[in-house]
Amino acid sequence: MNRIAHIFLGITSVTLLASCSSLTIENVQYDWPVESVLTVTGDNMVADGPHAVTFSAAGIANEEFQDSTALRGKQIRLLRSFEGFYFLTGPQFKNVYVFTAKPGKLTLKSKIEVAPNGLNNPAMNQRPPYVELLDGTSWIRKLTSDEVVKEEKQ
Amino acid sequence: MRTVLLVLLVCSLVLGASLSVQAQRSDFAIKQGFEETYKSLSKSVETAVNVAELDSLKTAIDSCEARYSRHEKLLDRVLYPETFASKMKALRTTHALTYDRVYLITTQGVKLEELEMRILYLTNRIDTLSADRDRLAAELKTLQRSSTEYREVIRRLQANLAAKDRLIFALVDTVFQPYGKDLSKAGDIQRESLTRQMEKANILNRVEGVATDNVGFLQTTTLQPKDYASAVDQYQLFSNRWQGLREKLIAASVAGTSTAPEGAPVRTKGKESGVTATGPPRESPAARVDSILGQWGERLQLAFWRGLEKEFADRGVTVEPFHDAAGFSSSIKAYVAKVQKTGEDPSVFVNDIWKARIDKEWREALVKPAMLGAQEYATLDKLVGELSRPTIDAKMILYAVILVVLVALIWWFFGRKPKSPPPPVRGN
Repeated sequence: MNRIAHIFLGITSVTLLASCSSLTIENVQYDWPVESVLTVTGDNMVADGPHAVTFSAAGIANEEFQDSTALRGKQIRLLRSFEGFYFLTGPQFKNVYVFTAKPGKLTLKSKIEVAPNGLNNPAMNQRPPYVELLDGTSWIRKLTSDEVVKEEKQ
Repeated sequence: MRTVLLVLLVCSLVLGASLSVQAQRSDFAIKQGFEETYKSLSKSVETAVNVAELDSLKTAIDSCEARYSRHEKLLDRVLYPETFASKMKALRTTHALTYDRVYLITTQGVKLEELEMRILYLTNRIDTLSADRDRLAAELKTLQRSSTEYREVIRRLQANLAAKDRLIFALVDTVFQPYGKDLSKAGDIQRESLTRQMEKANILNRVEGVATDNVGFLQTTTLQPKDYASAVDQYQLFSNRWQGLREKLIAASVAGTSTAPEGAPVRTKGKESGVTATGPPRESPAARVDSILGQWGERLQLAFWRGLEKEFADRGVTVEPFHDAAGFSSSIKAYVAKVQKTGEDPSVFVNDIWKARIDKEWREALVKPAMLGAQEYATLDKLVGELSRPTIDAKMILYAVILVVLVALIWWFFGRKPKSPPPPVRGN
């Protein structure tokens, strides 16, 4: 009898713990309809209006140009993908940076090399499940959060 | 020349934007291109001054819509909470309104600029009069009610209010002038344009302000009997003009914004500033004017009949209390009947009140149809007149009989000739 009581208590505890697990909402669409073209301020900050992200561009400038002040006064292009990753690039960039949003920080998920000589006139479009990258009239590339999956020449 | 340059500029902008869109195929560039083109077209439409210019702009709008319609899905998301279709519709509405305005100028021979100048002049005059009114009202408070200066300030204040009434309705006429007499035939665009003009000139709030001024005037001043005639006239004139304006508003169907049903949410402006009222439903300006007009009429009637009643009380004549024309009429009739019945002396009522005060001082206002009316006054005047006629009573008849008897006796004693004695008879 005592053993049956222990088994019963064990099952009840497992059920209760399972019911305490966090609520998860599935199929969230994070995508912005259009990219944001943002100018980096004198104090190296990037702000995208009252409802979007604000962050320092110093780390990206250092990573891309090995100079934390290289992006001051320059424009960068930011787009949030369908899955919720932030895609970031700009003129003269050789890479597209993909970040994951975490509490209080953006963590680099991947750095996708797109133009060894640097981009001239880049733009990003939302094309679920991809992010489309253009460079002027030269080419169009379709990106996932990890790599270039498709390329079209103009 | 200006038109050609403008149209070329707009067309090049539309074409340039579309070329850049085609070349780059960037969603951001599409969004930016649309926004720039839209802004430029809106500005050009709003400032267009002739029909040819507007015709060219219509082509440019069509072209813009055609170019960007294939990006409608993207633009709907980017322009949220607006949509591509709603933006284009708004632009076309602005175009149609401007077209209507320009068309009115050219076809009806009415120069809107001149009318707007006149509206500006009238509104300035009204504002000046408002300042004068405030000054006079302040002056009035410092004066003795019986003094000559007080009378003079009241006269000037009344003239000021009357002038303001006239100006307000001159302003109304000016606003309605370009739309012709038959407003029910006016198109939607004309009605919208009229509504905007009404709001711009702040008509309803100004009308409400004038009515409020008049109510305030009646509250703060003591009018003399002869002042009431012009006060009644002013009220009647204002009331008639307001009814006319109300009919026009209904005919023009601007009621949606101006004469909305009571309690319905309406777009109103602050007394002098253009503040849009939102939030809980409130009374429409037209309903407020109706309400204030009602108060004005009530106060005028109350002050008038109270003043008239005081004439009797001050001279110690007790009549039945009255608060309106019917009450006054029945009170006078009852008093006359009572005097006739009891035979009491009516001289104070007839001479001191009716003839010296009512007929001389109050008659002008009393005979107005809105008060007692000429016919009813004549009836009462005749009735009171009968009280002053000498009445034939028993005493009078007795005096008359005594007089006749006396005359007859006098005649009998002194008037009769004595009989001459017969002549003596002579014998043979």
